Amino acid sequence: MKRTRSPRSRSRTRQPFNWRSLTGWLFKIGLVCLVVLAGFSIYLDAIVQEKFSGKRWTIPAKVYARPLELFSGLKLGKDDFLTELDALGYRREKTVEGPGSVSVAGSSVELNTRGFQFYEGEEPARSIKVRFSGDYVSGLSSSDGSSLAVARLEPLLIGGIYPAHNEDRILVKLDQTPKSLIDGLVAVEDRDFWTHHGVSLRSIGRAVWVNMSSGQLRQGGSTLTQQLVKNFYLTSERSLTRKATEAMMAVLLELHYDKKEILEAYLNEVFLGQDGTRAIHGFGLASQYFFGQPLSELKLHQVALLVGMVKGPSYYNPRRYPDRALERRNLVIDLMAEQGVATAQEAAIAKQRPLGLTKSGSLTNSSFPGFLDLVKRQLRQDYREEDLTEEGLRIFTSFDPILQTKAESAMAETMKRLDGRKGVENIESAMVVTNPETGEVQALLGGRDPRFAGYNRALDAVRQIGSLIKPAVYLTALERPSQYTLTTLIKDEPFSVKTGDGQVWRPQNYERQAHGTIFLYQGLAHSYNLSTARLGLDIGVPEVLKTVERLGVSRSMQPYPSTLLGAGALTPMEVATMYQTLANGGFNTPLRSIRSVLAADGEPLKRYPFQIQQRFDPGAIYLVQYAMQRVMREGTGRSVYTQLSPALNLAGKTGTTNDSRDSWFAGFSQDLLAVVWMGRDDNGKTPLTGATGALQVWTGFMKRAKPQSLDLPTPDNIVQAWVNPATGQGTDPSCPGAVQMPYIRGSEPAPGPACGGQSPSDSVMDWVRGWLN
Amino acid sequence: MTKTVWAALAATVVLTGCATPQRGSIPVVDASTAVSNQELARSNAPAPVGRTMTSNTGAYASVPQDSGVTVMVPGDNAAPIQTFPAAPASAPISTGPITIGPSMEGPAAPSSNSTYVPPASTPSAPTGIPSSNSGNGLAADEQLDGPILALLTTAQQQQSGGDLNGASSSLERAMRIAPREPQVLYRLAEVRLAQGDAAQAEQLARRGLTYAGGRPALQASLWSLIAQSRERQGDAAGAAAARQRAKVGT
Repeated sequence: MKRTRSPRSRSRTRQPFNWRSLTGWLFKIGLVCLVVLAGFSIYLDAIVQEKFSGKRWTIPAKVYARPLELFSGLKLGKDDFLTELDALGYRREKTVEGPGSVSVAGSSVELNTRGFQFYEGEEPARSIKVRFSGDYVSGLSSSDGSSLAVARLEPLLIGGIYPAHNEDRILVKLDQTPKSLIDGLVAVEDRDFWTHHGVSLRSIGRAVWVNMSSGQLRQGGSTLTQQLVKNFYLTSERSLTRKATEAMMAVLLELHYDKKEILEAYLNEVFLGQDGTRAIHGFGLASQYFFGQPLSELKLHQVALLVGMVKGPSYYNPRRYPDRALERRNLVIDLMAEQGVATAQEAAIAKQRPLGLTKSGSLTNSSFPGFLDLVKRQLRQDYREEDLTEEGLRIFTSFDPILQTKAESAMAETMKRLDGRKGVENIESAMVVTNPETGEVQALLGGRDPRFAGYNRALDAVRQIGSLIKPAVYLTALERPSQYTLTTLIKDEPFSVKTGDGQVWRPQNYERQAHGTIFLYQGLAHSYNLSTARLGLDIGVPEVLKTVERLGVSRSMQPYPSTLLGAGALTPMEVATMYQTLANGGFNTPLRSIRSVLAADGEPLKRYPFQIQQRFDPGAIYLVQYAMQRVMREGTGRSVYTQLSPALNLAGKTGTTNDSRDSWFAGFSQDLLAVVWMGRDDNGKTPLTGATGALQVWTGFMKRAKPQSLDLPTPDNIVQAWVNPATGQGTDPSCPGAVQMPYIRGSEPAPGPACGGQSPSDSVMDWVRGWLN
Repeated sequence: MTKTVWAALAATVVLTGCATPQRGSIPVVDASTAVSNQELARSNAPAPVGRTMTSNTGAYASVPQDSGVTVMVPGDNAAPIQTFPAAPASAPISTGPITIGPSMEGPAAPSSNSTYVPPASTPSAPTGIPSSNSGNGLAADEQLDGPILALLTTAQQQQSGGDLNGASSSLERAMRIAPREPQVLYRLAEVRLAQGDAAQAEQLARRGLTYAGGRPALQASLWSLIAQSRERQGDAAGAAAARQRAKVGT
């Protein structure tokens, strides 16, 4: 604009000198104006074409949950399956029709999947039937009856990587757009769209007539092309010159591009709502945002709502002003019927339908800030910020919305139960759920409020780990089978040592009692401090710390005796890494949250492959897992079995720090590992131990998630031996009370004689008998 | 003054005219990049910070010949395992009983994978699965069932087509479904070796061994793969030891 004004004003200042030849002057001026106008239009033309043919929009990266893999034998309940389908916006119908529809009949579910481009290739849209039996999928087949080995649903979109203020959109093509939307849009916004050349004198005339006769500004005469130009190229300033520019650009745009291209751009550009700092642009995203469904699947009443919202996305916001939006929608439906877009009957039915918006707070609209934070941190190591916010990358993660929901509800339930207890008000929490066999993070809670996107305690809260370190002490010992076995007798008695700085360290048991002589594994099962500290000192603190490092912890700890009882501090995520190695047979896996990244066009870009490294002898790990199962059966974790089936093998460890400042539990089944931390951000005292706090959340989660029983394959170097439960000496299976214990080959006690008299029992033996019977 | 305006306009006309993009050129968001075959760059090393979308090319390098390592693709005549000749990708695949799920205790879903054909004399480990398919020399416990079989077949096709990243990805998919199936780990180790990551190949094979109890033929193959991986890593003594285990196994 500035360029054109300056020559004009200059010609004006020269006016007095040209009075003599008026006609010549006028001619010259006219010529200049014409040329200026031509020049201006060429300039506009360049702008119009440059932006339209280049990259039209920047698209924030989209983050997806894991796709649900369906196969016969999958552990998945029907209810969880339907929850996932709801979140994906599947329509419940009597008979399945078209992608995104599902029908439920008893224990079998029939559905039409949508198809999706994955890293490994395309998953086609297909019609499938899934049969359930209890908590398992008992059959999968194509709807035509042929058997199907495996099928994947499309993954749930769980978020994006947005800059502070951003436009977000899901690009759609014209052929993915329902015809009713296109025709409806044209009917409502620009009836002459298919015939005009960018501006429509007829609609301007009509607008002028309507506005004149009603005496107010009711109708605009802008064509769809003009609206696109306005949004796409110009500011929201309202002036005549801007209007003129808009009209010129609209004409130019029509000159270069055909109607379909312009319409497609319009469908993707139009502003349709605001979600916090994120602007919802285009019908593709609006469809997901309001209905949780792809645009192509929308029905007449949904299409009409979106078309109606174009006029005023804030004013007709259906979530905020449902009545207003409904009225507008029905008006649009009437108009569509009038214009022949829909039949009168269709219109009548559509008008009866409710708005059909997704509920806020359902799986669809809930965000998972804790997990997304983890994903973003990984991505920022590998990509530039602009690539993440502009290139439309598709990020595939291992996030499991079903497990996340279960973790959230377990946390909420425990918090509610604790509510009212003194000192619980300011307690915060964090939780990490992984698959121990694949090393993938499946769920994450950064605090007690799962929707709060702030301090992510799972990743950033570095807290003393207390007894969670003990498995490392025992693992270090059990790696030396010539010195230690599970039944080595150790002392649980008070002692004191002088530390380097001249102070005296005098550990104590939690209940301030000593237990005399015990079996090694009992020290871990009951989390005795005295015996563990003595064992650790015998082996050497640096040796234990080496084990911690080999377990996958990179944060260093001080080689003080108190570190043996957990004075060192870690984040919940680091604890998960450490326990992952214990759970996975001694193979360390860097925890992963991202599987792969695709470019906007579906081109594979990057993979985050599964990587493992064997760090420990499988035999030693087997023994530690055995002891950790004892924790759950008879030790500090035994309360789980008040809620879970005794048939379920679980392994874990509680952790409580001084004055109960931290309540921890880390444990695993065959297919699930979960770490829970509770405590105060100011590191104040709490009334919770590992067992009364974190373990409750853990148990609640496992109860909901229905884990598979722990079943570690027996390593080659493990043998079972019959031992006397009182003495730990080898015995004969025929003897009363003889029990089997695992040993690393060569370290087992020599078989005892066939049964004779029993040695006199002391307190430990009585105690031992307690769990044997 | 007028002249200047004229000149400026003329220049503008010429310049914008030149700058005008081709009429009708279809506007697209250009964010495409070629496949990165660097996924295995190095164990824990994060990819270089600040890599750009467009510079992140590395060409479509999944064709093994381009990756700079000797690759053994089945069907390439060079059998990956000396002990057991690789079967062509089109080898008949036996479908076994479905064993995944609640009914399954112990090691998962056993199988027949087209590259792994143990000798017919292999004693079958007792897993309670009736042997219904002895025609191709498979032990009963080595028959794979539905999803794993399907995914291993896909991975095999991808590998034959030179798409090692795709094959790797499909195998990890299989691993998520049956994490304790040693044959999946075996195949994954093979692909890692083909991708030039001998260290991971060895680790995956070792992981496979922990689940291959009672399956001597499979154990031998895994040891043989470990031997190859160690050789690649320049560990001749380790390779020899592994080869010894491979023989003992069979």
